[in-house]
Order: sequence, then structure tokens, then C-alpha cells
Amino acid sequence: MLEVRFHGRGGQGAVLASELLAHAAFLDGKWPQSFPFFGVERRGAPVTAYVRIDDRPIALRTSITVPDVVVVLETGLLRTVPVTDGLREGGLLLVNSALPPELIEVPIPVRTATVDATGIARARGLGSPTMPIVNTAMLGALARATGVVSLDAVRGSIVHVPAKPRENREAAADGFAAVRSGEGRHLPVARRAERAPPLPEGPIAAVPSSTLVTSSWRTLRPVIRLEKCTRCNFCWKYCPDDAIELDPSGFPVIREAHCKGCGICAAECPPKTIEMVLDAGARGGWGVR
Amino acid sequence: MAKLTIPAEEYMYPGHAACPGCGAALAMRLLLKGLGPRTIVSMPACCWTVIATPYPTTALATGLLDHPIEATGASISGLRAAADAMGLKDLEIVGFAGDGGTADIGLQSLSGMLERRTDAIYVMYDNEAYMNTGIQRSGSTPAGAWTTTTPVAGASHGKPEPKKDVMGIVRAHHPVYAATLNPSFPEDFLRKVERARGLHGPRFLHVFSPCPPGWKYSSERTIELGRLATDSGIFPLYEVGEDGVLSITRRGGALKPVAEYFRAQGRFAHLTEAEIAAIQAAARANWERLLRLATPPPA
Ligand SMILES: Cc1ncc(C[n+]2csc(CCOP(=O)(O)OP(=O)(O)O)c2C)c(N)n1
Ligand code: SF4
Ligand code: SF4
Ligand code: SF4
Ligand SMILES: [Mg+2]
Repeated sequence: MLEVRFHGRGGQGAVLASELLAHAAFLDGKWPQSFPFFGVERRGAPVTAYVRIDDRPIALRTSITVPDVVVVLETGLLRTVPVTDGLREGGLLLVNSALPPELIEVPIPVRTATVDATGIARARGLGSPTMPIVNTAMLGALARATGVVSLDAVRGSIVHVPAKPRENREAAADGFAAVRSGEGRHLPVARRAERAPPLPEGPIAAVPSSTLVTSSWRTLRPVIRLEKCTRCNFCWKYCPDDAIELDPSGFPVIREAHCKGCGICAAECPPKTIEMVLDAGARGGWGVR
Repeated sequence: MAKLTIPAEEYMYPGHAACPGCGAALAMRLLLKGLGPRTIVSMPACCWTVIATPYPTTALATGLLDHPIEATGASISGLRAAADAMGLKDLEIVGFAGDGGTADIGLQSLSGMLERRTDAIYVMYDNEAYMNTGIQRSGSTPAGAWTTTTPVAGASHGKPEPKKDVMGIVRAHHPVYAATLNPSFPEDFLRKVERARGLHGPRFLHVFSPCPPGWKYSSERTIELGRLATDSGIFPLYEVGEDGVLSITRRGGALKPVAEYFRAQGRFAHLTEAEIAAIQAAARANWERLLRLATPPPA
């Protein structure tokens, strides 16, 4: 039996990826199983999904704690979610990244593969600029890197996707062609999400949520060209995350730790002086700062 | 530098767990600007309980009480009784519930609170479905909308029934201050919150709350969609005083066609021209009904 754990962010298609992989395995004549972890599935928030594949029916119904393969749909998760926890010796870590495997920082020595699924999804027009849908490119890469399913089966499974089945099948083939395998860069003391402190006495939750970081949910971030800013404060007024403050002279300043990249400030700025640009890297996780 | 048109103070913290572009998050931020820190927000199960409480944190600088989904009205009645018993005179007691928790599951509790004349503000943030559990239809889901329980497949073509008129139900408990609010119009929003705050007895605020994943649109369009909803007569802005006088608080000339609002959302993508024309007629009839009720009648 082979066990695969997907880590993604809400909206990237991790759950659908797990279903498609199971379907592909079925098309290859295997007995698959897929199911998501039940949690907060906010767009941008970390999500987990599981797949088991075997040559005979699978009776096991538990979540996967000792996976053979871990698929990470976004590099930022490596820093904030303990994705390699329980990864079996000789297992594989597949990461969506434009970097070669040797530049991926991993907390245990592990066979690592990378593919620029975000680049592929953008090129194929999958998802929105704020949330490219990378799952099918990742599945193509997974087929090549593990051999657990054939590319034909992956492409065959891509019929019940919500949109653009043809482009998704092409993305799978692109992922298959582009995946690179190697060894990750082993950093024994990895940065990880800290455990929540013990239950306080008195009020259950007395710590402000501003101690959390939510900017890792975003793929785009706002950049303000202050030369054209009229200090109208519309961007401040409409931000649902209170992620913009006004400096003493009334100019807006983005709180980089909290902005989720929704794009509202850019859309509502009258002189259009806010531009949403690709966020080069996640700035820490949705964990305690 | 432009003057601030709404209070500078913030009582909602960033770092909360709402989706990017969540209208309900902006609604809470604006609401608390108007209510201030001496507030207890009582919340049933809904998106906002998840938004507010990524353990071990809270997104509110005010008090926050979590209660069962059907109990918002009862909870704020109890909180007010407790505050009175403790001699706490300066507290704002606020129920903050979703449309499912208000229009459906908590309707008896809302009615009880209004009829008992509880001195509290009840806020229904309306994202027009049970969002926290995965986009199931509610009584407040508009006709035609796709949800996971009103799919677009086979014989099913979105929700067949029209949206429940919760404002009408609330007004039947007169006297009560009741208003519709939309975060796309922050100044009007704050003026109504401040007016409600200055009153006693039951007060009801119906808040429009666009939801990018539930309505299927791209997150940067939340404010634009709110503007379109009001300016096309889908979500008119008005208030009813304790004297029963209804005033429309945003007129802005002729109504915009509803098509622009509907075409911007994936949940309505399947609607035909004829269906949109029928919605257009219903929106116009509703708007004309409000104009007739409004005092003074328009010139
Ligand atoms: C009696 C009861 N039934 C069902 C639920 C499950 N539940 C939790 S949140 C929720 C959705 C509530 O929808 P709404 O009030 O519209 O708020 P939203 O999530 O849309 O913000 C449901 C059904 C519950 N908590 N209690
Ligand atoms: S993109 Fe703009 S509006 Fe959206 S969270 Fe960031 S600062 Fe706020
Ligand atoms: S909306 Fe645009 S012009 Fe207005 S304060 Fe913000 S950046 Fe400046
Ligand atoms: S599902 Fe909708 S209402 Fe709930 S947090 Fe997300 S955007 Fe807000
Ligand atoms: Mg709702």
C-alpha cells in the first residue's frame, strides 16, 4: 500500500487533487481511497488531504500519519506546517517550486522533487492570478516522480474538474515533463509552527489575533506608489483585515504580516496607485509569531 | 489629506481567520468602530465564530460569547438581564449572527427578544447561505442562486424560492429600530450603528455581506458588488425608526440594471436572460413598494 499526503492552501485544489489521484489509480486498475482532513478550509489557509492506493481493497480508514509521499502545493507551507512529519524513510517530498530540489530546505534528509506548478498553471490560464490552480500540474509531476500512476490515467481522471479540462490535462503533461528529482537541502533545525501555549486561566482566548501572521495566505500583495496617492484613505476604509494603517501625515502603510492580498484596496483606490504584484515568498505562517 | 469619515479606532484585530475579501469581516470592523470597546458580542455557530477565534486568540477587543446557533436572541436577553443585575449600565449588548442562524434556525429566539423588548442590538450579517458548513441554501438565499443544496444539474436550476423578508418580520414587532446596512457604504453604515447605539430597546441591523467563495467571485470585487447590489435595488438601504417612519438612505437616481450584479457572480452564471428579466421586475417592484412606504414620499 502507498500512502500520499497533500498539503495545500484552501482554494488551490488540494482536496480535488487527492480525488483525481485516487480516480487515476482506479483507472490504472488499483484500489484507491481519498479523503480530506476536516478543518478550516478558508481560501489561503492550510489544508490537508489523503490518498491510499493498493492492489486490493483497503480496510484502513484513519488519517495518514506515516506517508510514503508528501505533496506540497506551495513552498511557504514548508516553513509553517510540519509537512515532513512521519514521512517514511526512502519516501518522497514533492514541492511546487521553481527552484531545483537542492535549494529546498527540508528538516530531514529526504528525496525531494520540484516542479514549477504555479508557472504552469499561469501559463495554462488555470485559476485566477490571486489563486492559480496548481493541482493538475502537481499530479503530472507526481506520476513521473513516483510512477505510482501513469500520465494517461492522470489525464483520464481530469474529466470532472470544475473548469478547463483540456488546459488541466495539458498542465498535467507539462508537470510530468518538467519535474526535477534530487535531494533537499537538509537543515536539521527547521523553522516550524510553534505549538499553541497551554489554556490560559480566565477568559479562554485573551490573546489578540494580531499576534498571528496571515500574509502567507496570499499570492499577490499590494504595492502603493505614494507619488500618486491623494491620501483619500479609501484603501484603509475598505480593508476587511485592518491590514492598512495611516501614518501621521495620512499616507497608507500596509501591515505586511496581516494583509491577505484580497486586492480590494487596489480595486477601490481612485487614482489606481495600488498595484497587486506577485508575492515573492510567504512571510511566515498562520501560527504564533 | 482627506479627513476621516468614519472613526479611526479599531476594535477588530487583524490576523483573524476570514477568507481574503470577506464582506462579513469588514462589516464587523465597521460595526465595532461605531460601538466601541464597552461591548459584548454574542455569537452563534457561523463563519464569524471561526473567524474570531483561531485558538488561543480572539479577533475582538470587546467581550465575546459563543452560544448555540438557535440562541442569539435568548443569549442577548440573558446578557442584558445579567448586566442589569450587576449594575453595568454602559454595556452595549450585541448579537451577531448569520442569515441561517437568524432567518431560519434562530427565528423564534429573535422574535422572543424583539417581543420582550430586550435592550440590545441584533445584527444579522447576510451572506445568503450557510457558508461555514459549505454553502447550503438558507431562507435568505435569493431565488436562482446556486448553492450545494440547490445545485445546477438535471431538473435543479438553483434555488426556486425567493429570499425571506427578515426586515418585514422584524418590523412586525414594532416599535423597533430596524435598518439595512452595506459595508460598501461605510459612512451610512456608521451613521446607522451610531443611531442604533443612541436608542434603547430592541434594535435590528440587516448587514449585506458579500462572500467570495460562496458567491463565486474574485475577492477584490467585494466592495463593487455591494455597491451594485444597492444601486440596482437588490439590497436597498433604508431604516425604520421606532416611530415606524421608513426612510430610504440612498436613492442615487434611477436604478441600475440588475444584470451587472448577477453576471459578476458564479452562483448566478446559469441564469438565462429571461430569468434575469424576471429578477429585474421583482427588484423594481420591491423598490417601488419601499418608495411608497417611505416618509416623506419622494417628490
Ligand atoms: C443546531 C445546529 N445545527 C447545525 C449546526 C452546524 N452549523 C454550524 S455553522 C452553520 C452555518 C450557519 O450559517 P449562517 O448562520 O448563515 O452563518 P455563516 O456560516 O453563513 O456565516 C451550521 C449549519 C449547528 N452548529 N447547530
Ligand atoms: S490586499 Fe489590501 S484590502 Fe486586501 S487585505 Fe491586503 S491591504 Fe487589505
Ligand atoms: S486609496 Fe489610493 S489614493 Fe487613496 S489613500 Fe489609498 S493609496 Fe492613496
Ligand atoms: S466563507 Fe464567506 S462569509 Fe465565511 S469567512 Fe469566507 S468570505 Fe467570509
Ligand atoms: Mg450565512
